[in-house]
Amino acid sequence: MRQYTPGSRTPGDTIVGMKEPLLEWPAVGVTRSPYRVMSDPEIYAQEQQRIFRGPTWNYLCLEAEIPHPGTFRTAFIGETPVIVTRDKEGGIHAMVNRCAHKGAMLCVDPCGKRDTLVCPYHGWAYDLQGKLRGVPFQHGVAGKGGMPDGFDLTQHNLERVHVQSFYGLIFGTFSTTAEPLQTYLGPAMIDHISRVFHKPIEVLGYHHQVLHNNWKLYMENSRDPYHATILHTFYATFKLNRLTMDGGILVDHDGWHSINYSKGATLREGGGEYESGIRSVVEDVGLADPSLIHRKQEFDDGITVAIQSLFPSCVNQQIYNTLALRNVVPQGPLQCELHWTFFGYRDDTPELREMRLKQSNLIGPAGYVSIDDGVIGEYVQRGIAGTGIDASAVMEMGGHEVASTPGSRATEATLRGFWTGYRALMGL
Amino acid sequence: MIDEIVRRQIEDLHTRYIRAIDDDRLEHWPALFTEQCVYKIMTRENYDRGLPLAVMDCRSRGMLEDRVTGLRKINVFEPQRYLHQICGLSIDGIEDGAVRCRSNYLVVRTMAEGAMSIFSAGIYLDRIVLEPSGPRFEERIVIADSRRIDTLLVIPL
Repeated sequence: MRQYTPGSRTPGDTIVGMKEPLLEWPAVGVTRSPYRVMSDPEIYAQEQQRIFRGPTWNYLCLEAEIPHPGTFRTAFIGETPVIVTRDKEGGIHAMVNRCAHKGAMLCVDPCGKRDTLVCPYHGWAYDLQGKLRGVPFQHGVAGKGGMPDGFDLTQHNLERVHVQSFYGLIFGTFSTTAEPLQTYLGPAMIDHISRVFHKPIEVLGYHHQVLHNNWKLYMENSRDPYHATILHTFYATFKLNRLTMDGGILVDHDGWHSINYSKGATLREGGGEYESGIRSVVEDVGLADPSLIHRKQEFDDGITVAIQSLFPSCVNQQIYNTLALRNVVPQGPLQCELHWTFFGYRDDTPELREMRLKQSNLIGPAGYVSIDDGVIGEYVQRGIAGTGIDASAVMEMGGHEVASTPGSRATEATLRGFWTGYRALMGL
Repeated sequence: MIDEIVRRQIEDLHTRYIRAIDDDRLEHWPALFTEQCVYKIMTRENYDRGLPLAVMDCRSRGMLEDRVTGLRKINVFEPQRYLHQICGLSIDGIEDGAVRCRSNYLVVRTMAEGAMSIFSAGIYLDRIVLEPSGPRFEERIVIADSRRIDTLLVIPL
């Protein structure tokens, strides 16, 4: 038995202190994932400990959302509520949004500005670094009651989350043994983050979407290039994205993270792939107002659609001129909430800003492209109810490997990569 | 002064609006708007903070027609229907030839399998123009109280 440490991600490892694996992973490996991981409450509870409190870096928020001293933003790591603050010196901190006294949530508002974080329940007051600064009636009333003499404020700080900011994205981890953020991400992921976040951004709004499926079904979906141009009829019909465009997938960190991308100007037609009665191309349909899909080529690499999926639960998306981060918050084995942060650049012209907002009809809970994802995970969740203990999903498109394929997106390597990370952390 | 006849015309427009949606005659829905209309669904969260992102953001009647095309021919979702309740209509003035109105809405969504829920509640902020052929929405901003949308939104509110 060997405890997980970065660099030893051998599937099948078990974790010290575990009596026996929670389930037997199919011997063929990551071309299968047992359906049970999508509904089992015990596995769900272990994920909170081993993945979200394990050696992972979790996207929290953008620096642009806490621009000034005293501003804060609430976020989640797995189920755990977190506060991200900027202190008076400009430093960024994150801590669990839970009073060290009785466990009440400190900040209910999603964002705001505070000098101190005061618990509404008994008034315990913390500074913006999460240090306990004051306890009401600590010395009692009229010499009676109060905390014992030895009560030490420094022993009751908020639980700390380690943070690192990279190109204005703030990531957090509970683990003291997590790799440095940049090692965790890997070179291809870093390149892509720097591509999108190379200049100051401006948040244009949020969406919050409840999905009636396990959080992993959404993460699988987000990195699945196979479904993209089939389920999402809008993509293929209006030629926003087809596998017959130049494109590919890139993976990092043994496939834990991935990007799939396509270049709209390189579409090849007439090859037959989308002309053979495939469901995803609707004949005789047009847009009454085609200005919806007018786009500006913003990036000189020619990429028009790129979905970056960071393990465990963050997605950085570009669909035409829509830019957004999506973060999945698990809410029990059978539900999760998708938080969308839609942004542009601070130096956008009014025309480009309007173009982004018009194209926002493509994404979010009512997006022509993403509507379908709102329900497809639920269809899986309902479909796998009652399945036998050995029943598994199949992921053999593109072979059995987990590797980048710069020339092809007819693959499920990115999903196999997700399960590689999952197995390593979960000891399955 | 807004006379009773205008008020009744506006109430009638609201009724035709919810009939088109609730009776699944969505093809009749775009014609209730002017050619150069605005129809947006915003969450209270974004609206109050002055953030421009909308859940649905249509800036022409053509974009409304495209929403109907999307729903009929393109998107994948579980069959569902709405029942609107509208109340509290106030007529708040006339601006550039358009009547400004506000009303409350409540939408109960029923899924094919029978699950029923309050899907959305909020307000309509309208600008209605009185054309010779009848009143039409020049602008309808739907402000949903909840920031959260359950599963997906495909039928307009």
